[in-house]
Amino acid sequence: MKHKYLLFFLAPSFLLILVFFLIPVVITLLISLTDMDYSFQWNWVGLKNYEEMLRDPIAYKVFQNTLLYVFTTLSLFNVGLALVISLITVHIPERVGSGFRALWLLPRITPSTVYALLWLWAARQDESALFNWILGFFGFEPVNWIHRHPWLIVILVNGFVGTSFGMIIFTAALKSIPSDYLRAARVDGANTFQVIRYVELPLIKWPLMFVTAYQTLSLLTSYEYILLVTNGGPGYYTTEVWALYSYHLAFAQYGGIVKFGYGAALATVLVVLGLIMSVIYWRVFRLKEMMLEPKIEV
Amino acid sequence: MRRGASRTVVILVSLVVGILIGASLGYMLAPKPQPAPATPTTELDKLKAENEQLKAKIEELKKKLEATGEKEITLKIWTIGPDPPSEYRLKNFEIAASMLNKWLAALGSKVRVKVEGEFFVRPVEWGEYKNKFYLAYKAGKAPDIYLTGHEDVGFLAANGYIIPLDDYIKEYWDEVYYDVIPTLWEAVKYQGKIWGIPQDTEARPMYFRKDVLRALGWTEEQINELPEKVRRGEFTLDDLLELAKEAKDKGLVERGILHRVKEGYDYFQFYLAYGGRLWDAKQGKMVFTKSAWKKTLEWFYKAVWEYKVISPTQFSGDWDKDFHEPFTKGKALFLSGGTWHKGEWISKGLLTEESFNENVGYMLHPAGEPGKKPVTLSHPLIYTITKQAQERGVADVAFVLITMVTDPHLNSLHAIKSSHLAILYSEISDSRYTKDPFLADVAYMLDYTTFIPNHPKWGDYSRIVFNILRGVESGDLKPDQAFNELLRQIQGLGSDAVIIED
Repeated sequence: MKHKYLLFFLAPSFLLILVFFLIPVVITLLISLTDMDYSFQWNWVGLKNYEEMLRDPIAYKVFQNTLLYVFTTLSLFNVGLALVISLITVHIPERVGSGFRALWLLPRITPSTVYALLWLWAARQDESALFNWILGFFGFEPVNWIHRHPWLIVILVNGFVGTSFGMIIFTAALKSIPSDYLRAARVDGANTFQVIRYVELPLIKWPLMFVTAYQTLSLLTSYEYILLVTNGGPGYYTTEVWALYSYHLAFAQYGGIVKFGYGAALATVLVVLGLIMSVIYWRVFRLKEMMLEPKIEV
Repeated sequence: MRRGASRTVVILVSLVVGILIGASLGYMLAPKPQPAPATPTTELDKLKAENEQLKAKIEELKKKLEATGEKEITLKIWTIGPDPPSEYRLKNFEIAASMLNKWLAALGSKVRVKVEGEFFVRPVEWGEYKNKFYLAYKAGKAPDIYLTGHEDVGFLAANGYIIPLDDYIKEYWDEVYYDVIPTLWEAVKYQGKIWGIPQDTEARPMYFRKDVLRALGWTEEQINELPEKVRRGEFTLDDLLELAKEAKDKGLVERGILHRVKEGYDYFQFYLAYGGRLWDAKQGKMVFTKSAWKKTLEWFYKAVWEYKVISPTQFSGDWDKDFHEPFTKGKALFLSGGTWHKGEWISKGLLTEESFNENVGYMLHPAGEPGKKPVTLSHPLIYTITKQAQERGVADVAFVLITMVTDPHLNSLHAIKSSHLAILYSEISDSRYTKDPFLADVAYMLDYTTFIPNHPKWGDYSRIVFNILRGVESGDLKPDQAFNELLRQIQGLGSDAVIIED
């Protein structure tokens, strides 16, 4: 009887996973075994797309780009800056802290195309463009930022959006630390840095690991801001990441001639990579322990 | 009495027989009247004859439409600019439908034809437009008439998206199709059949600023002579670099040469100018001429990194700020564009007819080196009828509408507004068309034009070239590196798709 209720309550979420994850994954996997284009013919070619991928030097370049993009954005912004902002804003007066955090939510709540356009305008070569205008006061020559420093811009654009997620999780976790612990530390003579290092950080270990794991997977599959800002350029696949490469091949070629098969093979690699990363994080971060019921009643 | 009566009878019978024999002989020997001349003698007769034929066809169509039992036949039509001035690609169908409805009313029919059309403009680009069509088709919601580039004919026909139009064209030949400029039929053929009706064509000139040349000390005569020098092959792509550099070094312009900021087919003109071939008609394959590609990549590298007349950021630029504005404001000397850009500049208010005539000149893309020919590239657009239109039973009406818009007067509305070139001989002398001297001036360029290949893998060829050129201009790839990479990727398309020659 109990199981019947469980099944009833789990059914909607299971259905969602089935329709929006499992079935698309299976379809993508099947398409990756064909040479499907816009004729929509299921011509089975076995593992040909995967063999082609191994021989494709662009795929290697794109893979390196993806590693650079995920690692840098994750460490500097999605986890690093998010943590810094959370720590600072919980240690300053509440009203100022909340206001500051609200500012950091702006990139997240701005429509992605508007947000990307703002960056394009700010980073243009014109003297009046925001970055050049500010640097102009210090005597710097105007620079086309996207062309000169494409990775810097790509990481900043994505990082500013990605920071808000970790910031909210970390702030909530920091605020849920019982104040007795913090007071006790102060009484023992700990300064702010020591409180952070020895009390707060160990206590928000789980949220830190969760955000790292979740944002890695999220960054692996994200491409929309790169598409809007550099479209993989400005040079020869300079900022093309794996998900964007898959998108370009499958949907976005000038002549409208596309490669669903090869694009699907690239997407399948991403799914497999995501699964492998999930297992690694599950094991290394011992996320299972986080899910367990507490051993003692607090 | 009896003898006298019988003699009279004999005489009468003989007379009747004589008359009959005489009449028969007379009929046989008399000169026959000449049949009416097959070709109308005057323009008015020609027009009348065409109208009568069309009227007869409309009467036939009326019977067919009435047989369906429907009061209103809706035709779904998809067209694209993406430049806004090309709006008559759709508007002409609305005009044609209203004409057709008047004829149907005059013939006493209660059936009406309704056009449900889409005209896509930027930011929708070609790739997105085509994707939309393929997906709509798959969902059973394809338009009945679909405007596309001629290069898609092979792919669309081979995969059953569109129907062959040979029988229709034969049926309506005398109305308008006899008048279509013959080379355009070549662009719509696939496996011996015709799959589309030409909608327009264009040339891609190299525009130049006359005011900048004047400031460089050129006389009016020298300026006016430049297109002719290019035509004769006396002014090459290297001369273009030198001149652009001179103008830039003297501070007359900020940029020497502008080209489009997104993927497209224009870049192939430089390859053609170095003697490269794109298409082998005999084998039905695309062509990669090694020597021409090598020189093309070297030229682009030189233009960006040695002469510094093309900006390394051109490919990451914006249409308005990095293409239209610098040229129309006289901040760039050359612009590799298309005839339609003139229409765009006028309709956007960036130039007036007067300022265009005063300060802008146009010529072919110069030959790559002495001994080679100057070039341009054409990309005729075509109307196709989808198989789903045939399945819905509206292919006949669709073709009548296409026939009606393939009219010198209606097509010139489009040609004039968007600066595209005529598709009919009679359009060239149309009173609207002749009012725009620009269109007449660039007409000669069609003698130097090449169509892009009608091959299913053309999109791949084009994408590979674009990415490599982007690498060269940004400085990521040196010419040698770029050539090796280009060759390797083109080889990947397979020898059944591309011929690689020295």
